[in-house]
Amino acid sequence: MHVTKTSAPLAVLLAAGLLLSGNAPANSPQGSSPTIRLFPTTVVEDLKQTSSVAKEMETGLQEVIGRLDQQRELYLGSKCEGADSDPGCERLARQIGATYLEMLGIMEERLPDMEHTVNNTRLSLEKRLQSEIGNKMTPWSLQEMLLGGTTSDATSSSTAGPTLRGRSGMRLSERFRQYYQLVASSGGSTDQSLAVLASDIYLDMDETSVLIARTREEIARATLVEQLNQSFGAITPEMMEVVGGVKSILFGDEAMDYAVSAPPPSHTEEAWISPLAN
Amino acid sequence: MFKQTHRLFLSLFAPLVFTLAGCASAPPDCGGIATRNLDAAFAQAKSSLGGSCAAHFDRYFDDLLTIAEGDPKPGNKRQFSEFLVWASDEGILSKQQARDHYNRYFNVKFVSLAGDYNNCSYTCPRRDQVMLSMERELSDKERGLIRITEDNAAYYRSDELYREVELVLEATCTACAARAGR
Repeated sequence: MHVTKTSAPLAVLLAAGLLLSGNAPANSPQGSSPTIRLFPTTVVEDLKQTSSVAKEMETGLQEVIGRLDQQRELYLGSKCEGADSDPGCERLARQIGATYLEMLGIMEERLPDMEHTVNNTRLSLEKRLQSEIGNKMTPWSLQEMLLGGTTSDATSSSTAGPTLRGRSGMRLSERFRQYYQLVASSGGSTDQSLAVLASDIYLDMDETSVLIARTREEIARATLVEQLNQSFGAITPEMMEVVGGVKSILFGDEAMDYAVSAPPPSHTEEAWISPLAN
Repeated sequence: MFKQTHRLFLSLFAPLVFTLAGCASAPPDCGGIATRNLDAAFAQAKSSLGGSCAAHFDRYFDDLLTIAEGDPKPGNKRQFSEFLVWASDEGILSKQQARDHYNRYFNVKFVSLAGDYNNCSYTCPRRDQVMLSMERELSDKERGLIRITEDNAAYYRSDELYREVELVLEATCTACAARAGR
Protein backbone atom coordinates (compact mmCIF):
# COMPACT_ATOMS: atom_id res chain seq x y z
CA MET A 1 0.00 0.00 0.00
CA HIS A 2 1.28 3.44 -0.86
CA VAL A 3 0.50 5.72 1.98
CA THR A 4 0.65 9.40 1.36
CA LYS A 5 2.84 11.72 3.34
CA THR A 6 0.03 12.75 5.64
CA SER A 7 -1.40 9.37 6.31
CA ALA A 8 1.78 7.35 6.65
CA PRO A 9 2.53 8.19 10.25
CA LEU A 10 -1.03 7.42 11.25
CA ALA A 11 -1.01 3.99 9.75
CA VAL A 12 2.50 3.20 10.86
CA LEU A 13 1.85 4.48 14.32
CA LEU A 14 -1.08 2.17 14.67
CA ALA A 15 0.96 -0.70 13.38
CA ALA A 16 3.74 -0.08 15.83
CA GLY A 17 1.58 1.12 18.67
CA LEU A 18 -0.87 -1.70 18.57
CA LEU A 19 1.97 -4.16 18.30
CA LEU A 20 2.69 -3.33 21.86
CA SER A 21 -0.50 -4.83 23.05
CA GLY A 22 0.59 -8.16 21.67
CA ASN A 23 3.95 -8.11 23.31
CA ALA A 24 2.84 -7.59 26.81
CA PRO A 25 1.58 -10.92 28.08
CA ALA A 26 4.69 -12.84 27.16
CA ASN A 27 6.73 -11.22 29.83
CA SER A 28 5.18 -12.90 32.78
CA PRO A 29 6.39 -16.45 32.76
CA GLN A 30 4.94 -18.52 35.51
CA GLY A 31 7.30 -20.44 37.69
CA SER A 32 10.49 -19.34 35.97
CA SER A 33 13.55 -18.27 37.83
CA PRO A 34 15.72 -16.36 35.41
CA THR A 35 19.18 -15.46 36.54
CA ILE A 36 19.06 -12.20 34.63
CA ARG A 37 16.35 -9.80 35.62
CA LEU A 38 14.97 -8.38 32.40
CA PHE A 39 11.34 -8.40 33.45
CA PRO A 40 10.99 -7.31 37.07
CA THR A 41 7.54 -6.43 38.37
CA THR A 42 7.77 -2.80 37.30
CA VAL A 43 8.40 -3.73 33.69
CA VAL A 44 5.58 -6.26 33.77
CA GLU A 45 3.24 -3.60 35.14
CA ASP A 46 4.34 -1.11 32.49
CA LEU A 47 3.72 -3.65 29.79
CA LYS A 48 0.27 -4.46 31.15
CA GLN A 49 -0.59 -0.79 31.21
CA THR A 50 0.62 -0.32 27.63
CA SER A 51 -1.32 -3.34 26.55
CA SER A 52 -4.48 -2.06 28.17
CA VAL A 53 -4.19 1.39 26.58
CA ALA A 54 -3.55 -0.18 23.19
CA LYS A 55 -6.58 -2.40 23.66
CA GLU A 56 -8.77 0.63 24.41
CA MET A 57 -7.54 2.28 21.26
CA GLU A 58 -8.26 -0.86 19.27
CA THR A 59 -11.78 -1.12 20.66
CA GLY A 60 -12.52 2.54 19.99
CA LEU A 61 -11.27 2.40 16.44
CA GLN A 62 -12.88 -0.90 15.56
CA GLU A 63 -16.41 0.52 15.64
CA VAL A 64 -15.47 3.60 13.61
CA ILE A 65 -13.66 1.50 11.05
CA GLY A 66 -16.70 -0.75 10.72
CA ARG A 67 -18.85 2.29 10.07
CA LEU A 68 -16.39 3.66 7.53
CA ASP A 69 -16.51 0.33 5.72
CA GLN A 70 -20.28 0.41 5.48
CA GLN A 71 -20.28 3.99 4.26
CA ARG A 72 -17.70 3.26 1.63
CA GLU A 73 -19.61 0.23 0.40
CA LEU A 74 -22.68 2.37 0.06
CA TYR A 75 -20.69 5.04 -1.76
CA LEU A 76 -19.26 2.55 -4.24
CA GLY A 77 -22.56 0.68 -4.56
CA SER A 78 -24.24 3.92 -5.49
CA LYS A 79 -21.72 4.46 -8.30
CA CYS A 80 -20.58 7.68 -6.67
CA GLU A 81 -17.01 7.44 -7.86
CA GLY A 82 -16.55 10.17 -10.42
CA ALA A 83 -20.02 11.55 -9.72
CA ASP A 84 -18.99 14.22 -7.28
CA SER A 85 -21.55 16.69 -8.49
CA ASP A 86 -24.43 14.42 -7.52
CA PRO A 87 -26.00 15.79 -4.30
CA GLY A 88 -26.61 12.35 -2.84
CA CYS A 89 -23.02 11.31 -3.48
CA GLU A 90 -21.76 14.56 -2.03
CA ARG A 91 -23.73 13.88 1.14
CA LEU A 92 -22.29 10.37 1.39
CA ALA A 93 -18.78 11.72 0.88
CA ARG A 94 -19.28 14.20 3.69
CA GLN A 95 -20.51 11.44 5.98
CA ILE A 96 -17.41 9.42 5.23
CA GLY A 97 -15.25 12.47 5.86
CA ALA A 98 -16.97 13.03 9.20
CA THR A 99 -16.35 9.44 10.26
CA TYR A 100 -12.75 9.80 9.18
CA LEU A 101 -12.43 12.86 11.38
CA GLU A 102 -13.93 10.86 14.21
CA MET A 103 -11.21 8.26 13.72
CA LEU A 104 -8.53 10.94 13.87
CA GLY A 105 -10.19 12.32 16.99
CA ILE A 106 -10.07 8.97 18.75
CA MET A 107 -6.43 8.63 17.91
CA GLU A 108 -5.69 12.12 19.10
CA GLU A 109 -7.48 11.42 22.36
CA ARG A 110 -5.75 8.10 23.02
CA LEU A 111 -2.26 8.95 21.88
CA PRO A 112 -1.06 10.90 24.93
CA ASP A 113 -1.86 7.93 27.18
CA MET A 114 -0.24 5.62 24.73
CA GLU A 115 2.83 7.81 24.51
CA HIS A 116 3.13 7.91 28.28
CA THR A 117 2.86 4.17 28.81
CA VAL A 118 5.06 3.32 25.84
CA ASN A 119 7.76 5.61 27.13
CA ASN A 120 7.55 4.12 30.62
CA THR A 121 7.91 0.62 29.25
CA ARG A 122 10.67 1.60 26.88
CA LEU A 123 12.65 3.28 29.65
CA SER A 124 12.20 0.36 32.02
CA LEU A 125 13.38 -2.13 29.41
CA GLU A 126 16.18 0.16 28.34
CA LYS A 127 17.49 0.31 31.88
CA ARG A 128 17.29 -3.47 32.24
CA LEU A 129 18.94 -4.26 28.93
CA GLN A 130 21.75 -1.86 29.61
CA SER A 131 22.32 -3.18 33.08
CA GLU A 132 21.77 -6.93 32.64
CA ILE A 133 23.13 -7.52 29.14
CA GLY A 134 25.12 -4.37 28.40
CA ASN A 135 27.07 -4.04 31.63
CA LYS A 136 26.95 -7.43 33.31
CA MET A 137 27.72 -9.60 30.31
CA THR A 138 30.66 -10.06 27.98
CA PRO A 139 30.06 -11.01 24.35
CA TRP A 140 30.99 -14.59 25.21
CA SER A 141 28.60 -14.84 28.13
CA LEU A 142 25.90 -13.34 25.93
CA GLN A 143 26.15 -16.15 23.41
CA GLU A 144 26.35 -18.74 26.15
CA MET A 145 23.17 -17.31 27.62
CA LEU A 146 21.46 -17.34 24.23
CA LEU A 147 22.47 -20.95 23.75
CA GLY A 148 20.96 -21.78 27.09
CA GLY A 149 24.10 -22.85 28.87
CA THR A 150 24.87 -25.71 26.51
CA THR A 151 28.53 -26.27 26.97
CA SER A 152 29.81 -27.58 23.69
CA ASP A 153 29.05 -28.82 20.23
CA ALA A 154 25.44 -27.88 20.84
CA THR A 155 22.89 -28.95 18.33
CA SER A 156 19.25 -28.19 18.15
CA SER A 157 16.03 -29.07 16.54
CA SER A 158 15.91 -27.70 13.05
CA THR A 159 12.16 -27.17 13.34
CA ALA A 160 12.53 -24.04 15.43
CA GLY A 161 11.13 -20.99 13.74
CA PRO A 162 12.69 -17.56 13.71
CA THR A 163 12.23 -15.68 16.91
CA LEU A 164 12.78 -12.28 15.48
CA ARG A 165 10.85 -9.19 14.68
CA GLY A 166 8.22 -8.21 12.18
CA ARG A 167 4.73 -8.96 13.32
CA SER A 168 2.71 -6.06 12.02
CA GLY A 169 -0.39 -7.12 10.18
CA MET A 170 -1.47 -9.83 12.57
CA ARG A 171 -4.89 -9.45 14.11
CA LEU A 172 -4.39 -8.04 17.57
CA SER A 173 -6.57 -10.50 19.39
CA GLU A 174 -4.72 -13.36 17.66
CA ARG A 175 -1.39 -11.94 18.68
CA PHE A 176 -2.63 -11.77 22.26
CA ARG A 177 -3.77 -15.36 22.07
CA GLN A 178 -0.42 -16.54 20.71
CA TYR A 179 1.53 -14.74 23.37
CA TYR A 180 -0.66 -16.17 26.10
CA GLN A 181 -0.17 -19.62 24.61
CA LEU A 182 3.55 -19.03 24.49
CA VAL A 183 3.70 -18.08 28.15
CA ALA A 184 1.42 -20.90 29.17
CA SER A 185 3.24 -23.59 27.21
CA SER A 186 6.76 -22.51 28.06
CA GLY A 187 6.11 -23.14 31.74
CA GLY A 188 9.14 -21.18 32.67
CA SER A 189 10.81 -19.13 29.99
CA THR A 190 14.54 -19.33 30.06
CA ASP A 191 17.00 -16.48 30.02
CA GLN A 192 17.75 -16.83 26.35
CA SER A 193 14.13 -16.47 25.25
CA LEU A 194 13.60 -13.60 27.68
CA ALA A 195 16.59 -11.76 26.27
CA VAL A 196 15.29 -12.12 22.73
CA LEU A 197 11.81 -11.14 23.81
CA ALA A 198 13.01 -8.13 25.79
CA SER A 199 15.10 -6.97 22.84
CA ASP A 200 12.20 -7.42 20.48
CA ILE A 201 9.79 -5.45 22.65
CA TYR A 202 12.29 -2.73 23.41
CA LEU A 203 13.08 -2.08 19.74
CA ASP A 204 9.36 -2.00 18.93
CA MET A 205 8.79 0.46 21.75
CA ASP A 206 11.70 2.59 20.67
CA GLU A 207 10.33 2.92 17.15
CA THR A 208 6.83 3.46 18.47
CA SER A 209 7.88 6.31 20.73
CA VAL A 210 9.30 8.17 17.75
CA LEU A 211 6.26 7.43 15.64
CA ILE A 212 3.82 8.56 18.30
CA ALA A 213 5.60 11.86 18.62
CA ARG A 214 5.58 12.36 14.86
CA THR A 215 1.98 11.27 14.54
CA ARG A 216 0.74 13.64 17.18
CA GLU A 217 2.23 16.44 15.12
CA GLU A 218 0.63 15.11 11.96
CA ILE A 219 -2.86 14.56 13.34
CA ALA A 220 -3.55 18.23 13.75
CA ARG A 221 -2.57 18.84 10.15
CA ALA A 222 -4.57 15.88 8.81
CA THR A 223 -7.61 17.04 10.77
CA LEU A 224 -7.37 20.51 9.31
CA VAL A 225 -7.04 19.16 5.79
CA GLU A 226 -10.08 16.96 6.24
CA GLN A 227 -12.08 19.79 7.72
CA LEU A 228 -11.36 21.72 4.56
CA ASN A 229 -12.34 18.73 2.45
CA GLN A 230 -15.64 18.61 4.31
CA SER A 231 -16.53 21.92 2.69
CA PHE A 232 -16.29 20.26 -0.70
CA GLY A 233 -17.61 16.83 0.24
CA ALA A 234 -14.68 15.06 -1.37
CA ILE A 235 -13.22 11.66 -0.57
CA THR A 236 -9.51 11.82 -1.05
CA PRO A 237 -7.36 8.81 -1.94
CA GLU A 238 -5.36 9.65 1.15
CA MET A 239 -8.37 9.01 3.38
CA MET A 240 -9.00 5.64 1.82
CA GLU A 241 -5.39 4.65 2.21
CA VAL A 242 -5.36 5.58 5.87
CA VAL A 243 -8.54 3.66 6.49
CA GLY A 244 -7.16 0.68 4.59
CA GLY A 245 -3.97 0.79 6.63
CA VAL A 246 -5.81 1.01 9.92
CA LYS A 247 -8.05 -1.89 8.92
CA SER A 248 -5.19 -4.16 8.01
CA ILE A 249 -3.56 -3.40 11.33
CA LEU A 250 -6.64 -3.95 13.42
CA PHE A 251 -8.01 -6.96 11.65
CA GLY A 252 -4.84 -8.35 10.16
CA ASP A 253 -4.44 -10.58 7.19
CA GLU A 254 -5.93 -13.95 7.98
CA ALA A 255 -4.03 -15.67 5.20
CA MET A 256 -0.66 -14.82 6.63
CA ASP A 257 0.98 -16.86 9.30
CA TYR A 258 3.19 -14.64 11.38
CA ALA A 259 5.79 -16.02 13.71
CA VAL A 260 5.90 -14.81 17.24
CA SER A 261 8.76 -15.02 19.66
CA ALA A 262 9.15 -18.50 20.94
CA PRO A 263 11.52 -20.09 23.39
CA PRO A 264 14.63 -21.38 21.67
CA PRO A 265 14.56 -25.09 21.03
CA SER A 266 15.92 -27.57 23.48
CA HIS A 267 19.43 -28.75 22.87
CA THR A 268 20.77 -32.24 22.69
CA GLU A 269 24.40 -32.91 23.25
CA GLU A 270 26.25 -35.31 21.06
CA ALA A 271 27.76 -38.42 22.51
CA TRP A 272 31.26 -37.34 21.58
CA ILE A 273 32.60 -33.96 22.59
CA SER A 274 35.93 -32.62 21.43
CA PRO A 275 38.36 -31.60 24.15
CA LEU A 276 38.88 -28.46 22.06
CA ALA A 277 35.23 -27.41 22.19
CA ASN A 278 34.42 -24.32 24.21
CA MET B 1 105.03 -27.62 -3.88
CA PHE B 2 102.46 -25.94 -1.67
CA LYS B 3 100.64 -24.54 -4.73
CA GLN B 4 100.39 -27.93 -6.35
CA THR B 5 98.96 -29.53 -3.23
CA HIS B 6 96.45 -26.73 -2.93
CA ARG B 7 95.26 -27.19 -6.53
CA LEU B 8 94.94 -30.94 -6.04
CA PHE B 9 92.88 -30.40 -2.89
CA LEU B 10 90.58 -27.97 -4.70
CA SER B 11 90.07 -30.22 -7.68
CA LEU B 12 89.23 -33.22 -5.46
CA PHE B 13 87.06 -31.69 -2.74
CA ALA B 14 85.49 -28.64 -4.29
CA PRO B 15 82.72 -30.59 -6.08
CA LEU B 16 81.89 -32.41 -2.85
CA VAL B 17 81.77 -29.19 -0.86
CA PHE B 18 79.49 -27.55 -3.40
CA THR B 19 77.23 -30.59 -3.50
CA LEU B 20 76.87 -30.65 0.29
CA ALA B 21 76.21 -26.94 0.39
CA GLY B 22 73.54 -27.38 -2.26
CA CYS B 23 71.79 -30.09 -0.18
CA ALA B 24 71.75 -27.96 2.91
CA SER B 25 69.97 -25.06 1.25
CA ALA B 26 67.35 -27.10 -0.72
CA PRO B 27 63.84 -26.05 0.36
CA PRO B 28 61.71 -28.71 2.09
CA ASP B 29 58.96 -30.24 0.02
CA CYS B 30 55.84 -28.49 1.42
CA GLY B 31 53.66 -29.13 -1.59
CA GLY B 32 49.96 -29.83 -1.43
CA ILE B 33 48.46 -33.09 -0.23
CA ALA B 34 48.29 -35.41 -3.19
CA THR B 35 45.87 -38.03 -1.93
CA ARG B 36 42.06 -37.71 -1.76
CA ASN B 37 41.82 -40.30 0.98
CA LEU B 38 41.17 -38.45 4.21
CA ASP B 39 43.06 -40.80 6.54
CA ALA B 40 46.08 -40.78 4.24
CA ALA B 41 45.76 -37.01 3.91
CA PHE B 42 45.92 -36.54 7.68
CA ALA B 43 48.98 -38.80 7.81
CA GLN B 44 50.69 -36.88 4.99
CA ALA B 45 49.86 -33.54 6.59
CA LYS B 46 51.28 -34.68 9.92
CA SER B 47 54.42 -35.95 8.22
CA SER B 48 55.00 -32.69 6.36
CA LEU B 49 54.08 -30.44 9.28
CA GLY B 50 56.24 -32.48 11.63
CA GLY B 51 59.16 -31.91 9.25
CA SER B 52 59.96 -28.41 8.16
CA CYS B 53 56.57 -27.28 6.90
CA ALA B 54 55.00 -25.99 10.11
CA ALA B 55 54.82 -22.50 8.63
CA HIS B 56 52.39 -23.82 6.03
CA PHE B 57 49.89 -25.06 8.61
CA ASP B 58 46.97 -22.96 7.37
CA ARG B 59 47.32 -24.26 3.82
CA TYR B 60 47.54 -27.85 4.98
CA PHE B 61 44.50 -27.37 7.20
CA ASP B 62 42.55 -25.90 4.30
CA ASP B 63 43.59 -28.80 2.07
CA LEU B 64 42.35 -31.23 4.70
CA LEU B 65 39.01 -29.42 4.89
CA THR B 66 38.68 -29.62 1.12
CA ILE B 67 39.50 -33.34 1.09
CA ALA B 68 37.04 -33.94 3.95
CA GLU B 69 34.30 -32.23 1.93
CA GLY B 70 34.70 -35.09 -0.49
CA ASP B 71 34.03 -37.60 2.27
CA PRO B 72 31.51 -36.00 4.62
CA LYS B 73 30.60 -37.89 7.78
CA PRO B 74 30.00 -37.11 11.47
CA GLY B 75 33.27 -38.82 12.43
CA ASN B 76 35.28 -36.16 10.63
CA LYS B 77 34.75 -33.86 13.57
CA ARG B 78 36.74 -36.19 15.78
CA GLN B 79 39.52 -36.56 13.19
CA PHE B 80 39.96 -32.82 12.93
CA SER B 81 39.89 -32.50 16.69
CA GLU B 82 42.61 -35.14 17.06
CA PHE B 83 44.67 -33.51 14.32
CA LEU B 84 44.46 -30.12 16.04
CA VAL B 85 45.35 -31.62 19.42
CA TRP B 86 48.36 -33.24 17.74
CA ALA B 87 49.35 -29.89 16.18
CA SER B 88 49.11 -28.28 19.58
CA ASP B 89 51.15 -31.05 21.24
CA GLU B 90 53.80 -30.70 18.54
CA GLY B 91 54.02 -26.99 19.22
CA ILE B 92 52.83 -26.06 15.74
CA LEU B 93 49.80 -24.32 17.21
CA SER B 94 49.19 -22.93 20.65
CA LYS B 95 46.36 -24.51 22.61
CA GLN B 96 44.25 -21.42 22.02
CA GLN B 97 44.89 -21.50 18.28
CA ALA B 98 43.90 -25.16 18.17
CA ARG B 99 40.68 -24.39 20.05
CA ASP B 100 39.89 -21.47 17.75
CA HIS B 101 40.47 -23.53 14.61
CA TYR B 102 38.22 -26.29 15.89
CA ASN B 103 35.43 -24.07 17.17
CA ARG B 104 35.41 -21.85 14.11
CA TYR B 105 34.46 -24.81 11.91
CA PHE B 106 32.86 -27.41 14.13
CA ASN B 107 31.11 -25.67 17.03
CA VAL B 108 27.85 -23.75 17.26
CA LYS B 109 29.41 -20.93 19.26
CA PHE B 110 31.19 -18.08 17.57
CA VAL B 111 34.89 -17.53 18.17
CA SER B 112 34.34 -14.05 16.72
CA LEU B 113 32.06 -13.17 19.61
CA ALA B 114 34.64 -13.18 22.33
CA GLY B 115 36.00 -10.55 24.66
CA ASP B 116 36.67 -9.99 28.31
CA TYR B 117 34.91 -6.66 28.69
CA ASN B 118 31.25 -5.88 28.94
CA ASN B 119 29.04 -5.41 25.91
CA CYS B 120 28.34 -1.70 26.40
CA SER B 121 32.00 -0.78 26.45
CA TYR B 122 33.52 -3.43 24.21
CA THR B 123 31.03 -4.94 21.76
CA CYS B 124 28.79 -1.97 21.02
CA PRO B 125 31.48 0.38 19.69
CA ARG B 126 32.53 -2.30 17.18
CA ARG B 127 29.18 -3.98 16.59
CA ASP B 128 29.30 -3.81 12.77
CA GLN B 129 32.76 -5.32 12.73
CA VAL B 130 31.72 -8.08 15.13
CA MET B 131 28.66 -8.93 13.06
CA LEU B 132 30.76 -9.05 9.88
CA SER B 133 33.25 -11.40 11.51
CA MET B 134 30.41 -13.59 12.74
CA GLU B 135 28.94 -13.68 9.25
CA ARG B 136 32.28 -14.89 7.86
CA GLU B 137 32.55 -17.45 10.63
CA LEU B 138 29.04 -18.66 9.87
CA SER B 139 30.23 -19.38 6.36
CA ASP B 140 33.10 -21.48 7.78
CA LYS B 141 30.63 -23.25 10.03
CA GLU B 142 28.55 -24.09 7.00
CA ARG B 143 31.65 -25.76 5.56
CA GLY B 144 32.56 -27.57 8.77
CA LEU B 145 29.15 -28.50 10.06
CA ILE B 146 27.20 -29.17 6.89
CA ARG B 147 29.67 -30.03 4.15
CA ILE B 148 32.19 -31.94 6.27
CA THR B 149 30.36 -33.44 9.24
CA GLU B 150 26.73 -33.42 8.01
CA ASP B 151 25.58 -31.88 11.27
CA ASN B 152 22.84 -29.75 9.79
CA ALA B 153 21.05 -29.22 13.09
CA ALA B 154 24.14 -27.67 14.65
CA TYR B 155 24.56 -25.36 11.68
CA TYR B 156 20.95 -24.20 11.85
CA ARG B 157 21.33 -23.52 15.56
CA SER B 158 24.40 -21.49 14.78
CA ASP B 159 22.53 -19.53 12.15
CA GLU B 160 19.74 -18.91 14.64
CA LEU B 161 22.24 -17.83 17.26
CA TYR B 162 23.69 -15.36 14.78
CA ARG B 163 20.27 -13.76 14.26
CA GLU B 164 19.51 -13.71 17.98
CA VAL B 165 22.83 -12.04 18.73
CA GLU B 166 22.11 -9.48 16.03
CA LEU B 167 18.74 -8.64 17.59
CA VAL B 168 19.90 -8.61 21.20
CA LEU B 169 22.96 -6.52 20.38
CA GLU B 170 20.88 -4.04 18.43
CA ALA B 171 18.57 -3.57 21.41
CA THR B 172 21.32 -3.60 24.01
CA CYS B 173 23.54 -1.17 22.14
CA THR B 174 20.59 1.16 21.56
CA ALA B 175 19.92 1.04 25.30
CA CYS B 176 23.59 1.61 26.18
CA ALA B 177 23.81 4.60 23.83
CA ALA B 178 20.54 6.09 25.05
CA ARG B 179 21.54 5.88 28.70
CA ALA B 180 25.06 7.10 28.05
CA GLY B 181 23.53 10.18 26.44
CA ARG B 182 21.54 11.05 29.54
